[in-house]
Amino acid sequence: MTARSIQDANRAPTTERAVSPSVWSQLWSRNAGGYLFLLPWFLGFFGLTLGPMISSLYLSFTNFDLLTAPDWVGPANYVRIFTADPKFSTSMRVTLFFVVFSVPLKLAFALGVALLLNRGMKGLPLYRAVFYLPSLLGASVAIAVLWRQLFAGDGVVNDALAIFGIKGPAWISNPNYSLWTLVVLSVWQFGSPMIIFLAGLRQIPVDMYEAASLDGASKWRQFWKITLPLLTPVVFFNFIIQTIEAFKSFTPAFIISGGTGNPINSTLFYTLYLYQEAFSFFRMGYASALAWILLAIVGFFTAFSFLTSKYWVHYDD
Amino acid sequence: MTTDVQRLTVVTEKQTAAVKTRKRLLSILAHVLLIGASILMLYPLLWMLSASLRPENEIFTSTSLWPSAISLDSYFRGWNGLRLGFGTFFINSFTIAILAIIGNLATCSLAAFAFARLEFWGRGFWFAMMLATLMLPYQVTLIPQYVLFHNLGWVNTFLPLVVPKFLAADGFFIFLMVQFFRGIPKELNEAAMMDGCSPWRIYWKILLPLSTPVLATAAIFTFIWTWDDFFGPLIYLSDIRTYTVMLGLRTFVDSSAQSDWGGLFAMSILSLLPIFLFFLFFQRLLIEGIATTGMKR
Amino acid sequence: MSISIDRRQFLMGSTALLAAAAAGVGPAMSQETRMRLIFWGGQARADRTYGVTDLYTKASPGTTFDGEFLAFADYWPKLATQTAGGNSPDVIQMDYRYIVEYAKRNAIAPLDEFIGNGLNLDDFDKDQLDGGKVDGKLYGISLGANSTAIMVNTTAFEEAGIELPTRDLSYADLPAMAEKWNSSNKRAGMKLWSDYSGGEPGLENWLRQQGKALYTADGLAGFTAEDITAWFQLWADLRAADVIVSPDDQALDATDAIENTMITLGKAPVTYANSNQLIAFQAVNKDKLTMTNYPRIKAGSGGGHYRKPSMFFSLGASSKQQAEGAKFIDYFISNPDAATILGVERGIPCKSSTRDAIKPSLDEQSLVALNFVSNLGDLLGALPPSPPSNAGEVGVALKTKSQEVAFGQQSPQDAGPAFFAQATEILARAKK
Repeated sequence: MTARSIQDANRAPTTERAVSPSVWSQLWSRNAGGYLFLLPWFLGFFGLTLGPMISSLYLSFTNFDLLTAPDWVGPANYVRIFTADPKFSTSMRVTLFFVVFSVPLKLAFALGVALLLNRGMKGLPLYRAVFYLPSLLGASVAIAVLWRQLFAGDGVVNDALAIFGIKGPAWISNPNYSLWTLVVLSVWQFGSPMIIFLAGLRQIPVDMYEAASLDGASKWRQFWKITLPLLTPVVFFNFIIQTIEAFKSFTPAFIISGGTGNPINSTLFYTLYLYQEAFSFFRMGYASALAWILLAIVGFFTAFSFLTSKYWVHYDD
Repeated sequence: MTTDVQRLTVVTEKQTAAVKTRKRLLSILAHVLLIGASILMLYPLLWMLSASLRPENEIFTSTSLWPSAISLDSYFRGWNGLRLGFGTFFINSFTIAILAIIGNLATCSLAAFAFARLEFWGRGFWFAMMLATLMLPYQVTLIPQYVLFHNLGWVNTFLPLVVPKFLAADGFFIFLMVQFFRGIPKELNEAAMMDGCSPWRIYWKILLPLSTPVLATAAIFTFIWTWDDFFGPLIYLSDIRTYTVMLGLRTFVDSSAQSDWGGLFAMSILSLLPIFLFFLFFQRLLIEGIATTGMKR
Repeated sequence: MSISIDRRQFLMGSTALLAAAAAGVGPAMSQETRMRLIFWGGQARADRTYGVTDLYTKASPGTTFDGEFLAFADYWPKLATQTAGGNSPDVIQMDYRYIVEYAKRNAIAPLDEFIGNGLNLDDFDKDQLDGGKVDGKLYGISLGANSTAIMVNTTAFEEAGIELPTRDLSYADLPAMAEKWNSSNKRAGMKLWSDYSGGEPGLENWLRQQGKALYTADGLAGFTAEDITAWFQLWADLRAADVIVSPDDQALDATDAIENTMITLGKAPVTYANSNQLIAFQAVNKDKLTMTNYPRIKAGSGGGHYRKPSMFFSLGASSKQQAEGAKFIDYFISNPDAATILGVERGIPCKSSTRDAIKPSLDEQSLVALNFVSNLGDLLGALPPSPPSNAGEVGVALKTKSQEVAFGQQSPQDAGPAFFAQATEILARAKK
């Protein structure tokens, strides 16, 4: 592990000395650094993560009722999912709706507040903490009770609307609106992407703004020309992570609908359905198949995002 | 990345009184907006506080924020509930969270450095694998993982909750750090290499000191998420002496039987205190990070 | 045994040990039998249960308990994971719905060999004993008898000047009663009755009064599409007659969780529930509550109710301490001191000697529960066969379908055949 090895690694591979003992040393010097730094991760990946993942892939081709040994059934689970399972398409629709609306809203909110809170203003630490508060609540049981107090037909939100003479619907328990209350909940817990945006904003060198304001660039222009481009790695990160999380979103629907996904399956998130199959109906094999389909969808989406990232994410390297 | 400090001072002097007034007005407006939004954010906390102080049979029936009678009973009852008292649970939660922070910061930053700064065969592949671990819903790996930990004899200990953190099992943090490391100018890296620095020295002496914001972010998230984690402790901890705060909170309430709602809300309030204070303290690092490391030069 | 415990104690970390020592529950001696006991419930049930385990430890030194209690929703994933991982507890609280699943998969042990041999079931109610049998073998000891019941807000009825629902009330009486209720206009926005069109127990009771059943003994639907249409029509008529709460309100109650029921939320003075829950309901309600039976389908029809085992104790199939476990269960259901501590929180004790032992110490509402379950009279019918696998999924489907009707997405005429087809398909899948 010397500086030389890294320099070697950066050079174009030399092909002349194809068959010689130094091939191995060259391989070593080119790759050892990376693999040594990744050693803990490899231990975790091969020791703890990979095994269970492969098990679940295997289980997706079986009938596994949790309590007795799994039975190999071939692709039967997948066939049923795509041909005879109306709840699969229902839950997929619910989840896609949630992803499409909650992710952009949450990110826009988080970025907006982060920009506001990034400026040197009095009391900022306290504001930041207060804005992070909803995210601290996590999956607390209290959220379920609270959301009902807010969004029921006679809830606080409708009381507020009544001041303006508007009679609001029963947001949380009406199948036409219930999913929206979960979108609101997700956006309301915008603390984590906000913090990541804040950290990203801190990484932008101050002198770039100084130079820009000398050139007479307005704040608005500075945002578009400096802040946003330099923030794209963080925007990209938040976008990918929030999308993956939204696809996998489980807890909010679980606590708000008591794990049912009702009214009329309007909040039956994909993972909630998967959970019901696995733990309420004892069909872990089927649930595993659902999980791997989700992985394929999310993986495809992520790969696509990475491909496009070349065109809009600016790294310094 | 050029700077010009002298010209900057000229600019500040140029600011006229009119600009200053406009700035002040803007700042007042911002405060009004922020305070308004803060109330929205604080409402749940106020509601929980009022629920923890009011008689139990009022929690679900009354819509007013103000309790008809105030009593601290719920706090005493809640603290001493569940046979052991919440003190033990707080100690357990702290132990797990602190270990998780150490593990995550140490090992995720190593992996992230490799992905962000080192060239090696299969880098893209392993990075994709790392991301894939984020995409599979945990519900289906739960049982194989439980079997694994059970065979290792780790069930009913903190190990299933802590060891994965020391093996960089949370891809979220690796990915996060990768994005930030890639934002640090590569010239620094290359200059150091020219000077004959080993990757370890680059990681330790150059990259980490410049990464306070992202490390602080990771520490904050690890603490809060570990503290809030409920499913891991639910599955792996059975002995009440090993329970965490979140697990304790969940056992207050069973919707089919008589539950201690007052105790739940009282202890929920108390359980928020440590993470709130931790956040308040660590966010300073998040903010001060760059300014103190001389990144500008 | 002791080695594994030592290792576990060690791995738990010194903090937990310190705390344990401080709380006076230090690590076990090596000769001790440690029983792992798992149950769901709230704080009240935990206090009572631990009261009994402490008593048992006093009575037979050397046996201690690692008790674990969880909320119902959290309980099943954990128990399934433990069982799948080959690490199931010794004594397991079981539910009437899940006992078949666990017994058929040999995850819990048959108890027959312990009867008369540690487990004294001499004066144990026969229906309760049968309720714990799967395929002729005894897998669970009922910890209390229960019946479905409606919770009634007496204060609200008194305010409105209406007589409380009696045991002779029928669904046909509800519109007239609702008219009185609505015209009294005592509590704004409150309707007379909850909408229980999505409640499986409600449907079952209604079917049984007609001599039918929810499920047959061989795990098929005991009803027809016409039955379901009629059931949904019954509720649609009540909805039209302004008797029941709006679908928006009823949908707040997703899982029959006590805190979300119409009675607790103040939407209706009547909610469908179980007889052992009166005290739990009272704890979160300001008004005085009582309970009575589900309405009849017409005057004089009975047999809808049955005494359901509210929960069981079973023994883990892989437990190495089954004999000791059986002894503990026996103590739990027979010992007078234990019974006094437990009261009727899990339902009415199944042994007549135990019932006699607790009577003097019961409070008013516990007595209401005891009397209700003991005096069902003509309302009482035979215990139905235990529900088939996948019954849970049918219950979920019923709730969803009932909401489709309530929100006007489907008429009762369409919903009946649709639900019947759904239920048939779900039950057929369980057979495979």
